[in-house]
Amino acid sequence: MSFAARRTGLATRLGVLLGLGVFLVWSLAPVVWLVLSSFLTQRALIAQPPDLAPASFTLQNFVAVMQSAASLGHGMLNSFIVASFSTALALALGAPAAYALARLSLPRANVISFMILATQMLPGIAIAIPLFIVITRLGLIDNVWTLGLVYLSFNLPIVIWILRGFFLGIPQGLERAAAVDGAGPVRTFRYIILPISIPPLAAAAVFAFIEAWNEFFFALILTRKSAETVPLVVAQFAGQYQTVFGQMMAAALISVAPVILLAIIFKDQIVRGFADGMMKG
Amino acid sequence: MRAFQTYERRRRSAGAAFVAPALAVLALILAYPILDSIWLALQRVTLKAGQVERTWVGAENFHRLFNDETALRAIFNTAYFSIAEVVLVVGIGLGVALLLNNAMGRSGFFRVVLVIPWAIAPVANAVLWKWILNANYGVLNGVLTSLGLIEHNQVWLGTPTMALNVLLLVDVWKSIPFVALLMLAGLQQVPKVLYRAAYMDGAGSFQTFVHITLPSIKTAIAIAVVLQTIWSLRVFDLIFVLTRGGPADATVLLNFLAYRVTFNFLDLGYGAAIANLVFAATFILAIIYIWLLKPRRRVAAS
Amino acid sequence: MPQVELRNISKSFGSVTVCHDVNLIIEDRAFVTLLGPSGCGKTTTLNMLAGLEDPSAGDILMDGQRVNERSPVDRDVAMVFQNYALYPHMTVAENIGFTLRMRHMGRGEIRRRVEEVARSLELGPLLDRLPAQLSGGQQQRVAIGRALVREPRVFLFDEPFSNLDASLRIRMRAEVKELHQRLGVTSIFVTHDQEEAMSISDQIAVMSKGRIEQFGTPEEVYARPATRTVAAFIGNPQIDLASGRVEHGADGLICRVGEAELALPAGTEAVAGQAVEVGVRSEHVQLSDTGAAARVRLVQPVGPATHVTLDWAGGTLTATLPGIARLAAGSATAFAIAPENLLVFDPDSGKRIGGRTDA
Repeated sequence: MSFAARRTGLATRLGVLLGLGVFLVWSLAPVVWLVLSSFLTQRALIAQPPDLAPASFTLQNFVAVMQSAASLGHGMLNSFIVASFSTALALALGAPAAYALARLSLPRANVISFMILATQMLPGIAIAIPLFIVITRLGLIDNVWTLGLVYLSFNLPIVIWILRGFFLGIPQGLERAAAVDGAGPVRTFRYIILPISIPPLAAAAVFAFIEAWNEFFFALILTRKSAETVPLVVAQFAGQYQTVFGQMMAAALISVAPVILLAIIFKDQIVRGFADGMMKG
Repeated sequence: MRAFQTYERRRRSAGAAFVAPALAVLALILAYPILDSIWLALQRVTLKAGQVERTWVGAENFHRLFNDETALRAIFNTAYFSIAEVVLVVGIGLGVALLLNNAMGRSGFFRVVLVIPWAIAPVANAVLWKWILNANYGVLNGVLTSLGLIEHNQVWLGTPTMALNVLLLVDVWKSIPFVALLMLAGLQQVPKVLYRAAYMDGAGSFQTFVHITLPSIKTAIAIAVVLQTIWSLRVFDLIFVLTRGGPADATVLLNFLAYRVTFNFLDLGYGAAIANLVFAATFILAIIYIWLLKPRRRVAAS
Repeated sequence: MPQVELRNISKSFGSVTVCHDVNLIIEDRAFVTLLGPSGCGKTTTLNMLAGLEDPSAGDILMDGQRVNERSPVDRDVAMVFQNYALYPHMTVAENIGFTLRMRHMGRGEIRRRVEEVARSLELGPLLDRLPAQLSGGQQQRVAIGRALVREPRVFLFDEPFSNLDASLRIRMRAEVKELHQRLGVTSIFVTHDQEEAMSISDQIAVMSKGRIEQFGTPEEVYARPATRTVAAFIGNPQIDLASGRVEHGADGLICRVGEAELALPAGTEAVAGQAVEVGVRSEHVQLSDTGAAARVRLVQPVGPATHVTLDWAGGTLTATLPGIARLAAGSATAFAIAPENLLVFDPDSGKRIGGRTDA
């Protein structure tokens, strides 16, 4: 009996280890190859098998990318402006809205919340054509601020949804204590709710920033040269220099490095804020 | 009367002021475009000298949609792509979640592994796979040849069926982490006592999985299925970078078709009609998703 | 002039009514407890007093002025909450001083008053700590300090000790009572613990199912409960009730319970043949050789007294005997109850129709 139990235990354990190993290779191999490729010479990359000798490693790809694609730096700057602007606005508008929907006994708060959640899932194409027409007519095409505003269409719902989930869990006593202490709803929000919500605010901000940084579709139709964001630059670069593999990878790596760092630093907040939030009403 | 406002009334009026700006912005950038998009789909829209001209045509665009061979293929491709992606992503995602829910998988390192493919921009991901899938020098051909799985280099994006399936694989790779995280969140809500009770009752690990784990996370699975379907309908960047819809329109999905018709062929009314089809599908799925969330809320409240 | 008055207060949430026509007059400087089981409407009543919930009907008066429309801060009440509700991101000093900051008081003045309150509650060394770094008792003191610093006209306590362990609860009870004696501020206290209510209050309002069953001093609600519900809720061990029928006895009315006969107190409003319920506090049950027959079922010594559970015609009955009583379980005995100690209730209305009218 105990022998059998131990044997299944061992088999399960080996199975789990094997599974975790496969999962690691599957998830990381492409990423590792992205990083490796960006540091290898073209000669080393096209060799069969690729030449991974120390002599093949170089920083030349990065240097070349920065020179041949001056627009990469420009794109990074635009992406930073668009993502920061959109994130800041989404937090400024979304945090009070989420608080009101979660706590301030608004009529139909749940219906409104679910409608907001549903809009977050819309494909960009559902709103792109009218937006394109209006923005063109207003002469606001190819403008980072316009793009940042359009990004609110997905960032504002995300922020509201993540924060609403957290606000729902705040004990009622805190708000009531604040009311008895003389704080109205605005000061309660300012002095009590916001300071205790810093972790979910950070999660929402990181999430919104990453989504905005990575967005491609709206950037493609609403910008030209001056407001182009980093995904556009990378896509163009990959189209133009598609045989210079090392440089293509270097460009891709540079473009994703900032958000990957953010994601790794804030991984627990992202997991808690979003994955859990999508499971709870 | 004005000077004194009770707690409940003050909160309600403050609440209205708190949501108003956000709702106004959402009305402007979401509600208005959605409504106008439906309106546009009923019109013939032409661009003349930068001016938009609209003529009412009723259901003509939709009539055209269901007689357009490209569109019908796109509908078929989209259905195939979405269903296959959901099955693969949810199946593998559940497996990954089970592994990570195991004592050996709890380390924060694995969450880093999950979060990286998620955080990579879809465009960068597409560019990365463009290189991996390269017919002459790509590492996929190299690895598969040296493992003896293929005899000579494949042109992965060269033939219609292969191209669509390879796109599917790449999107599955990127989508698994988040679905795994969703499932993990579901698994971690299963009370530990249940597992202990099952063990005491002599259930093996397979029986435990079927009788304890699966029933406990079936809502989580349903939610993952619906969300992943919605996300599959949005795939765009990958197609744009890797195939532009080719070869022979084999990788034209509805979302991409709407883009191409609108912004390449400048047929805005017809593009809006296709976009509406995607919107309608998403909308129905979103309602199912919300419906799935509801009973959980009731359980949590009691 | 009464400080706080509730007039015909009702509160409903949708179709559920949690308070029915509550009337209460609380005198200046009194310590009044709202006592009742959970769900009886006591916390809702307190919240309506505080201005945190709006009554569906009725008036709330303070110093004779209607305050229904006023926000909590305009009513000049301070409140101590069930789970302390300390602001987790603020230090003890900031928690206590928050209300003064909300009144735009100067920094120096805030600091002075916070330190004064902290000293009186022995919180001085803890002023820079966060709530998470404090023990339950310390958190409770901070919550009280936050209420004290305001120098409010009314203190409200919402089950403030329910999260503390038994010994700490008894100590905090004494501290709050001393505080009230020292400051003399009108205090309204909510609890479901009848012993806590008895020990701390000048007056108790016993609530049940959204109604005030009785409002009186602890002695009154204990010795002269207005209803069967009050009698059953107050007192430990719980009062024992038995059903019987009124008959004419040798010296006036008696109550017959099976074979047993209990003399009813003088002035009982009942006629022969009427069904009644009788109840008695355990300390008024005397074991004797004559009287109603009973059998000893359980003997529980608690130190200063012994609780003896008896089986008799009316069911079970607890007698509290002084000191350690040596009785064998299963032995036959008998008990007697002085007529004036018997409480007689109408079984339909639950109202008391006989028993003590004095203290």
